[in-house]
Amino acid sequence: YQKLQTDFEHSRLNQAVTKVHLNIIYDILLQQDSIDLGAGEFVTPQEDSSATLSESLMDRLNDQMMESVMISDSPNNSEEDDVGPIDSFLDGGLEENGSSGNKKEESEIGQNTTEIKVPVDQKEQECTKDDIKEEIDIEEQIQIVVSPQSEAHSPVVIKSEDPEHQSPKGTSPKDEPVPVCTIFSQGTQPKSLAPDGFQPTLIKSPSFTTGSGGGSDEAVTPSKMTAPLVCQPSPSLSKFFTDNGQANPASDFFDSFTAPSSFISISNPNADVSPASTPAPLSFTPEHQPPTPVSVFGPTVTEPTTKPQSPISQTVPSLNLASSTPQAQPFNQLQAVFSGTDDPFATALSLSEVDRRHDAWLPCEETRKMLISVATQQYGPAYVDTNRLTMPGLKFDNLQGDAVKDLMVRFLGEQAAMKRQVLTASSVEQSFVGLKQLVSSKNWRAAVDLTGRLLTAHGQGYGKAGQPTSHTTDSLQLWFVRLALLTKLNLFQNAELEFEPFGNLDQPDLYYEYYPSVYPGRRGSMVPFSMRLLHAELPQYLAKPQEALDRLHNLKTVCLAILENLEKGSAEDGSMITLTQENRQASLKLWRSRLSRVMYSMANCLLLMKDYILAVETYHSIIQYEPQQRVQLLSGIGRIFLQVGDVKMAEVYFQDVEKSCQMKARDPTHTTCVLMNRAFVYLSQNSYAEAHASFLEVLKIDPRHPVTNNNAAVCLLYLGRLKESLGQLEGLVQQDPALYLHESVLFNLTTMYELESSRSTQKKQALLEAVACREGDSFNTQCLKLV
Amino acid sequence: MMRLTKPTLFTNLPVTCEDRDLPGDLFGQLMRDDPSTIKGAETLMLGEMLTLPQNFGNIFLGETFSSYISVHNDSSQVVKDILVKADLQTSSQRLNLSASNSAVAELKPESCIDDVIHHEVKEIGTHILVCAVSYTTQCGEKLYFRKFFKFQVLKPLDVKTKFYNAETDEVFLEAQIQNITTSPMFMEKVSLEPSMMYNVTELNIVTSGDQGESTFGKMSYLQPMDTRQYLYCLKPKPEYAEKAGVIKGVTVIGKLDIVWKTNLGERGRLQTSQLQRMAPGYGDIRMSVEMIPETVNLEEPFDITCKIINCSERTMDLQLEMCNTRTVHWCGISGRQLGKLTPGASLLLPLTVFSSVQGLQSISGLRLTDTFLKRTYEYDDIAQVCVVCPFLNNEC
Repeated sequence: YQKLQTDFEHSRLNQAVTKVHLNIIYDILLQQDSIDLGAGEFVTPQEDSSATLSESLMDRLNDQMMESVMISDSPNNSEEDDVGPIDSFLDGGLEENGSSGNKKEESEIGQNTTEIKVPVDQKEQECTKDDIKEEIDIEEQIQIVVSPQSEAHSPVVIKSEDPEHQSPKGTSPKDEPVPVCTIFSQGTQPKSLAPDGFQPTLIKSPSFTTGSGGGSDEAVTPSKMTAPLVCQPSPSLSKFFTDNGQANPASDFFDSFTAPSSFISISNPNADVSPASTPAPLSFTPEHQPPTPVSVFGPTVTEPTTKPQSPISQTVPSLNLASSTPQAQPFNQLQAVFSGTDDPFATALSLSEVDRRHDAWLPCEETRKMLISVATQQYGPAYVDTNRLTMPGLKFDNLQGDAVKDLMVRFLGEQAAMKRQVLTASSVEQSFVGLKQLVSSKNWRAAVDLTGRLLTAHGQGYGKAGQPTSHTTDSLQLWFVRLALLTKLNLFQNAELEFEPFGNLDQPDLYYEYYPSVYPGRRGSMVPFSMRLLHAELPQYLAKPQEALDRLHNLKTVCLAILENLEKGSAEDGSMITLTQENRQASLKLWRSRLSRVMYSMANCLLLMKDYILAVETYHSIIQYEPQQRVQLLSGIGRIFLQVGDVKMAEVYFQDVEKSCQMKARDPTHTTCVLMNRAFVYLSQNSYAEAHASFLEVLKIDPRHPVTNNNAAVCLLYLGRLKESLGQLEGLVQQDPALYLHESVLFNLTTMYELESSRSTQKKQALLEAVACREGDSFNTQCLKLV
Repeated sequence: MMRLTKPTLFTNLPVTCEDRDLPGDLFGQLMRDDPSTIKGAETLMLGEMLTLPQNFGNIFLGETFSSYISVHNDSSQVVKDILVKADLQTSSQRLNLSASNSAVAELKPESCIDDVIHHEVKEIGTHILVCAVSYTTQCGEKLYFRKFFKFQVLKPLDVKTKFYNAETDEVFLEAQIQNITTSPMFMEKVSLEPSMMYNVTELNIVTSGDQGESTFGKMSYLQPMDTRQYLYCLKPKPEYAEKAGVIKGVTVIGKLDIVWKTNLGERGRLQTSQLQRMAPGYGDIRMSVEMIPETVNLEEPFDITCKIINCSERTMDLQLEMCNTRTVHWCGISGRQLGKLTPGASLLLPLTVFSSVQGLQSISGLRLTDTFLKRTYEYDDIAQVCVVCPFLNNEC
């Protein structure tokens, strides 16, 4: 019966085929080379001519609207009916086929294809059948092949709850003593971990409170929610809260006193600028042992001044150190003399130029009024509506994942995976020094964990969002680093979630004026400018580019207003403070560079939105702020045009680049730039050989230029020289892994491995090994295409 | 097999901070060390690093399908007489795309046979790339296998046209072209190739001085789902315009030739089929006004020239009658014979007329009678003229 049915289908199919052939003949006769885009009234012999004619006439008579020109090809619409049976037929045909041939399925480049190995003699038998219905035979296979479009890369979203990330690290934390250090020596301080000369670290994650190492696992799990977090405001802030206890839930206070843990705090270097104004903390914290100089910043900072517990900023790096510290010192003494923070004279004096320059910001009207009323002591900050307060907290717990290691366990076995050594949040000093170490070694996930610990110590840990807290320069810097790293890790949703409590970064408690006793005389925004920028950029990565643009425009407006204020002769915020010429120039320079940075972000955002016209305009306008980047910007605009497909306009811009390069002194980077642009134009003209030659010319100037090496290899592939291309890239990765273990290069390499052979996994695993010994936990394993 | 669409430029994700922030120069250093950033302008998102296509992507009618075919010997044996055949099966035909059809003598382990094929897709719908490989093992066993890669060719553009007939012989063509792909499209060329009867003027460029500027602005690209209107003016060539009979009924106007480019110059080209237009019917005789002044003085005779064309298939013997209307008064004798007019022939007719009323006046009242068939054709409102009072001007 089945056979009968198949035969029947065969005959139907044959009809379809002949019909198609008729079509072709017709095409050739009439249409010749042109692709048949038969207009509505175009009558093909296959169609029911009377119907079409009358229909088209009707159209013309009734309808003065646009006529739709059908871009239809020889298979007319009517044939869709005939196509249907092919599919149903295929099911039958497939079964037949499956039983006769040796079928082996394998997948390649994401497509399921069927490979049929048939001994030739057997094939020849089939051939007779094929001769008759060759067309059909081919059609039979359709069903097997999965549409290639189905291949899609779904972004891997790492959730904190993901069990994979709870898995313990290679070296089980239980065996290892946890680096618990506190200033308040409670006897749990393991000496082994304090490196030579290190002072006890100030900070301690609450997850270590149980004393034994097992605690660190708890920190990973969300169950931590149930265990009360110990959080303490820094001493200076504690004072702040004792003054205005109303704002603080009583439970928080009880926590700080009754928790069986050691006292955890984070020092706030800037808060201690005027110790005279904050004498309270000492009395507030009985466990406090003032003689030990404590610092988040590690041992390097020892300041033999009048106030041993005030650590002088590593946060405020060289620039600030150089200019503000010497200045600040006498002022502090002055303040000690005056001993009243309200004294306007002392306040004005303590204003550091650099602080003012960098922290300047223009709050919205409402916030501004509130800050004024706080400053004039109309009412204390405690009376501020909680809606207007910023109450951040970690929204997810430790990421602690190392995707490279997970892959190693999966493909190379546990033993090989054991060899991978990366820094974790626990293996570095629990301070800014450790944080920097993690960031520079590209262990960003661990660095995010560490920021989490440090923020937890500051009372802004997991689940603390929505609870009153206070902000310091450091806490906001920590948030900035954390959110920046999340963004770098493409964990945009997480970053957005944690950014949420900050609102639009314009609440009164994010300004120094809100804390007159902690930061006497200091004005401006606690939120670093980079964090505002990050906040503005973030929505564009979450498919909300319009929102990002709105925020960026706000930033731009403020930058422009500040620049205007400076040019008018007043201070950044418009107040009538006379600035020295030098300071004004420095301020102008800083704010111009900030403006240009905002413009860059806007242009990048527009580029993501594919609004090429505005993107090009914006990039072009940056040249006035960054004249030294003219060549790069013009080349970039040229590349945008190439991306759009407008090769001619791209060439116009590239010619501009060549002109500006000729005007300047001979700079090898400019020559490479010109050659590179030429290569891209060749590429766009499908002249891969010429493009390759241009890339080679760049390599003559700079043989180690990573982009060019990669691009030359890509050209080779388009020239049909797969083996050479592979050889070149492999060589590069082996010789100079620091440069070539880059996502894009590895992506190209693995793509070519997949093309080369169906046994590409082995070679990919070799790459994984190379990655494992060099890259940190932030490595994007997707480019290895192992999973 | 791997489809060779154009490579893409790697974009990086700039995260920066200032020297004064906690990480100090760390983020800046990380970005400078990243090979994919632009040195000296790290915050520029669009890099220079080329990355290979990540997936098959979409392919559209008129684009070129390029593909890399690599046959790799994964085994440890040398194989002989390898023949690689790449055929493209469409719903209507089967094309051989292989560069060479000769067999390769032998293929060592870990070596491969490479071929890059190109094909301009000319059909919509399912295409199957069939790669067939036959070879002989060392034992002399002849083996054969095939692989199939199926893909869909989609329609990239939606084209709609509309004709506007001017009072003269001119025809205006408005073509709406919509990008129905998912990526921006640079329209490199959208031109109307007229049929032999017409001359075409493109009305998509505003010329100011030497340089013409496109009416579509500086960047000539179409975002997904955007539509753009192109306008063309078609004038019949003089030799055809004379033969009125030719431009009658359904005529072929020409076809649109569209060339577009996308990422890094990926090119596509389409032509529409011949666009056809139903010429407006003029009946048997067509009368048009060749010359008429714009402004005339009140009650002052002026000359107009009419053209009469015989659009019918037969010779006519015409008689002209001029009937005065309330405002327009004809000078000369009404009812005069114009003589015989053969099919397609034309006749220029100078006439004199004056108006008795000021304002914009319509010229009406001409009647042609074919004496053979005793059929009368009426021509009213053939032109307008502005009538002014000359004395009023002087007084002012």
